[in-house]
Amino acid sequence: MDELLKDITSQEYKEGFVTEVEQEFAPKGLNEDIIRLISKRKEEPQWLLEFRLDAFRRWKTMTQPSWGHLHLPPIDYQDIIYYAAPKKDKDRPKEIDPALMETFDKLGIPLKEREFLAGVRDKSQSNVAVDAVFDSVSVTTTFRKALSDKGIIFCSFNEAVHEHPELVRKYLASVVPVGDNFFAALNSAVFTDGSFCYIPKGVKCPMELSSYFRINASGTGQFERTLIVADEDSQLSYMEGCTAPMRDENQLHAAVVEIVVEKGADVKYSTVQNWYPGDSEGRGGILNLVTKRGICKGEGSHLSWTQVETGSAVTWKYPSTILKGDNSSSEFYSVALTNNYQQADTGTKMIHIGKGTRSRIISKGISAGHSENSYRGLVRVNPGADGARNYSQCDSLLIGSLCGAHTFPVIMNQNPTATVEHEATTSKISEDQLFYCNQRGIPPEDAVGLIVNGYANEVLQRLPMEFAVEARKLLSLSLEGSIG
Amino acid sequence: MDNRIFIIGQDRLPEKLTLRDGQGIRWTLVALPGVSAGLSLEVDIEGEGCEVDIAGLYLCKGGENVSLDMNVRHNCPGSVSRQLFRGILDGRSKVDFDGLIYVKKDAQRTKAFQECKTILLSREAVISTRPQLEIYADDVECSHGAASGFLSPDELFYMRSRGIPEEQARRLQMASFLSPVLQRLPQSLREEIISGL
Repeated sequence: MDELLKDITSQEYKEGFVTEVEQEFAPKGLNEDIIRLISKRKEEPQWLLEFRLDAFRRWKTMTQPSWGHLHLPPIDYQDIIYYAAPKKDKDRPKEIDPALMETFDKLGIPLKEREFLAGVRDKSQSNVAVDAVFDSVSVTTTFRKALSDKGIIFCSFNEAVHEHPELVRKYLASVVPVGDNFFAALNSAVFTDGSFCYIPKGVKCPMELSSYFRINASGTGQFERTLIVADEDSQLSYMEGCTAPMRDENQLHAAVVEIVVEKGADVKYSTVQNWYPGDSEGRGGILNLVTKRGICKGEGSHLSWTQVETGSAVTWKYPSTILKGDNSSSEFYSVALTNNYQQADTGTKMIHIGKGTRSRIISKGISAGHSENSYRGLVRVNPGADGARNYSQCDSLLIGSLCGAHTFPVIMNQNPTATVEHEATTSKISEDQLFYCNQRGIPPEDAVGLIVNGYANEVLQRLPMEFAVEARKLLSLSLEGSIG
Repeated sequence: MDNRIFIIGQDRLPEKLTLRDGQGIRWTLVALPGVSAGLSLEVDIEGEGCEVDIAGLYLCKGGENVSLDMNVRHNCPGSVSRQLFRGILDGRSKVDFDGLIYVKKDAQRTKAFQECKTILLSREAVISTRPQLEIYADDVECSHGAASGFLSPDELFYMRSRGIPEEQARRLQMASFLSPVLQRLPQSLREEIISGL
């Protein structure tokens, strides 16, 4: 069985190529001049520059946290390029560089709005609006016109700053305050691009919206910022994907995602995280240190997080929900798979403030190789959250005897009318299950893929169709070489 | 089997305990109303075939502050540990439960379970639980569960509709909730606890 596991876990990373485009870089290092430079490049208004500088000054007083169950390689913040953008061709400033077009095509992200012929709708290219971010800039946002007809704003963060400053000013840092944590403060100071999305009152978004993040340049970090606002009674499904080239160095990715869900609105946020995980010796890979948080502001609002984490050398993130509105609800579905020397410390926080709030946490961790996989979470029921309800289930699956699987939940209840339940289990793929499959002619590798997919099925089911197919493939691929 | 009962505040609980091949313990910790305490117990399993069975009960009526810090480390393969905690909190009491199950690399065939359930009776009471699993071996069966809630109104209604007075019905509910731990106590202590509910 060890041999088999080894085979399954040694799969190559097919998104690991580098795109050769001329790029413009800011000098290495981090100081107020660099921040001014970024702000100037993006032609930002004064208030945003001040926001950045304030964040930077706060960041300088903070120290990098170390409480994660992780061995984080030391990060030299002065040795990172904070701004890298592909150069715009002067002759065709409006068009997308063909090299970039090709890159995203290769990654399966269509930047052209393909038209569907009646009856020959290609399933792999169903209607998804994409905001494609390449290093520090958004390359393009598709379907903007079709969306704006419905009053939906979907554009890059930078465009939103120029075109809808009142919305950005109102909601920016309203969910993740500037000084929330070390990495959020860093992001607030140097964030480059990301997506902005606003769904007006009563509008159901007609298509899936998505952001695709690509790190390309060497020696850089990516600091994107996403802000999603769903106004009263609106509905949105949002997806996020990401990849990076294979390199021996660690690259930093410190993003902030903020989601505001107003009364009666429904937001679904899905992530398939496939950053470069490093090689089988644990060299290189992305350090994925992200702050994601949403607030269910109004009554009856709903926010659902789904994440499939297969990439990154280090993943450290807790997509969280503040359940402020009465009868609001939230879910967190997660599959985190670590292999080789990958490390993940991920989970969620559910803060129950409003009456009758409900939350559900389903986390499935899979560790293989020498990896470490932790679930860490907080469920907090405040004294005013009458009738609040939480259910958490965290399962871990161990493949091989050299990896670790851990569960660190914190559950705090201050309300005698609330019910909070937490359950966690740890187990391995049993010989019986494997035998059962083998006996029916399913080769061991496929059997492991099958068992893992079945184990994660509860979460995968929640993904939008386009993502679910990809996620299933990724799960089997990432495991390649881990059986033996 | 080392079968013992510790009344917190009365009996001294050892802070550290090491088990060798084939040793077993069956301990029951009882924190009665009016007792505030900070307890910590570290159990190291250093042999095969050990059996750890710890249960606990905490009853808080007013301003008690109880913290329980349980740390069970499986350093050798082939042992079993079970932890079971039940508590009822009233008044302004506060309970912190911190329980870690640690399974060392190569401590295969380990079975470890932990359960902590609490009922809150008042708006000022606070329960905070941190059940943790830290596992470095793959051939294991480990689980933990934590829950907090309230006395079910349906159960109460069921009993009252059959003529059981409210106060007695509540006591029955609480006694049944605590019974997995109560069963382990001698009858006199058990009756004393039930009548005090």
